[in-house]
Amino acid sequence: MARETLCPVLVGTSGYSYTEWVDSGFYPQGTRTPEMLYIYARSFPIVELNYTWYQMVRAEAISRMISRAPEEFLFAAKLTRTVTHERDRNWQQEVKKYRKGIRPLQGQLAVILIQLPGSFDWSRCNRYYLAHLLDTLHGFPLAVEFRHVSWARDSVFAELEKRHVTLVTVDAPPVRGLFPCLDVVTNPDLFFVRFHGRNLQGWQSENIQKKFDYCYADEELQQWNEQYLKPLRRNAERGVVFFNNHVRAQAPANGKFLQEMLLQ
Amino acid sequence: MDRAIIHLNVTDFAVAVERIGDSSLRNFPLIVASGAAGKSRTVVYDMSEEAYQDGVRKGMALQQASRYCRAARVIGPRPDLYRRAMAALVKRVVCYTPLVEQGEEDGHLFMDVTGTHRLFGPAPDIAWRLRKQLSADLGLDPVWSVASSKLVAKVASRMIRPFGEYIVGAGEEHIFLAPLPLSILPGLTAEELKILQDFNLHRIGQLAKLSRKQLLVPFRKRGSYLYEASRGRDHTAVRPAPEKDDCITMEHTFEEETANYAEVEAAVATLVHGVGRCLRRRNMLGGRLKLVLVHVDGKKSHRQVSWKRGSDNDFVLRDMAFGALDQVWGRRVRVRSCVLRCERILPRSPQQALFMLKSCQEEQQEKIITAMDQVCSRFGDGSIVLGTAI
Repeated sequence: MARETLCPVLVGTSGYSYTEWVDSGFYPQGTRTPEMLYIYARSFPIVELNYTWYQMVRAEAISRMISRAPEEFLFAAKLTRTVTHERDRNWQQEVKKYRKGIRPLQGQLAVILIQLPGSFDWSRCNRYYLAHLLDTLHGFPLAVEFRHVSWARDSVFAELEKRHVTLVTVDAPPVRGLFPCLDVVTNPDLFFVRFHGRNLQGWQSENIQKKFDYCYADEELQQWNEQYLKPLRRNAERGVVFFNNHVRAQAPANGKFLQEMLLQ
Repeated sequence: MDRAIIHLNVTDFAVAVERIGDSSLRNFPLIVASGAAGKSRTVVYDMSEEAYQDGVRKGMALQQASRYCRAARVIGPRPDLYRRAMAALVKRVVCYTPLVEQGEEDGHLFMDVTGTHRLFGPAPDIAWRLRKQLSADLGLDPVWSVASSKLVAKVASRMIRPFGEYIVGAGEEHIFLAPLPLSILPGLTAEELKILQDFNLHRIGQLAKLSRKQLLVPFRKRGSYLYEASRGRDHTAVRPAPEKDDCITMEHTFEEETANYAEVEAAVATLVHGVGRCLRRRNMLGGRLKLVLVHVDGKKSHRQVSWKRGSDNDFVLRDMAFGALDQVWGRRVRVRSCVLRCERILPRSPQQALFMLKSCQEEQQEKIITAMDQVCSRFGDGSIVLGTAI
């Protein structure tokens, strides 16, 4: 049920370790990779870990990373690609490894992000797989980002609600077949928003630098706040928002603006 | 700025390439060995992961390897095929950076992608995309690692092979290396490893606790390398292969490894004729011949001989090649194959010499070569060879 009060929102970016953010001025000149998280944490209270998608998390690496961040700093960790995009018969072993690797983060883990590929449609086989995957990750706070429009149906939202799994709200270019931007809250504990940018041409290219090259105008964010963020905030206890338009440090710039806007 | 080095490694490259060509080879452990199965001197050139798990190693006698892995299927090596596969791999990699350092047909390569993030994004994303592309285009599935130096990237690849990926964050090199065994550190010789074991040092972290001075005593000049390497410091640049001039390469693999000079000489003479014929067909002259002997222990010896004017005459080229063979013939290790490479290839001048002063012998040689070329063009390469090639 919608409330009058608006819940708190934590704003961050998808990834923090970008060399080009030094060139773009978000990090001071000469900043080395190991110092980045500490500096990042001065601006944002949360970060989405991108590298956990590229390689399986390792407990020792996670422990080292936590030691560089303030105690109250939070992390959202992407599920590794061998479980979402490139899964094979041994995917359950991969989930086991992931559970083990992510363990040191548990005190500061806001949510695990299950980002599914565009080819992952609402087929019987995929539904079984997702249900099985959610079962194997039981006990962790989970959020699911669909990229295929066929998942936009009430039965899916009801199932996620039953499981206390967050449906990720995405802002992306208007691409046919892409999951739409919805203000549906399936987990009253947490809503999760990802801003991918609106670079339509870049989205269709294979180049990550073009895909996420977009800077949200202040008006666009204000409008988004009215249209989506406020309804989401009325229906959840807490929210996390991540900017994925990392190219030329546009993500932290937009993130800072949104933070200030929400404080007003 | 921290460097971003990607190491791509197609595990068991020869096996991977053979299995692309013949998918039925995927159903068995596979051993690539020079020479036919059953020959006593045949050694393992490469082996599949299953054979490796059974104890088969490179350079091992095939008879012993076959005992370790009885289910293995044995095939002969095809270096030319591996060379082409490597070239196809490099062709895709150079789209991301010109700084690519490659091994010799072994599926290893380093890429320096420092500063390319504005074009292609972060290094792990480049590595992941490349792996996907190589898998789709060539059927090769390399392991990849990303680190701030070649040394650390190589160690990371060794950790994960035969499948997977590893990203070592900049500034974390020494922490990453510390718990690993010393044997995984590249560039360490067996003698150095033995000395370190005598000092009861088994982990890289233990070595990293020693000072430069302490290492100087037992290792002299190498102490400095050990000091830096144990801390994950490696400033060596990724060196792209020099621009390759036009060249002609011919190779002969002995059915059974040999230490017989006459046998190698005969093989070289055959290669010379192949090179000469190729030059004449293209109307070119070769200015330098490089001879490489590949020994059974995997080591290579090579020498080169140049001739300023260049030639396409088999007799002249043969003298050059034999000169190189005399110089290179020194190691008392059997030879597995020999490679003859003709470099400095120049077009033959269309202008005739003003005074034709050919000796009688030269005229005779020309007639013989022309006749041999005619026979070869009718009955195929190798249908007639010089007497020294027998």
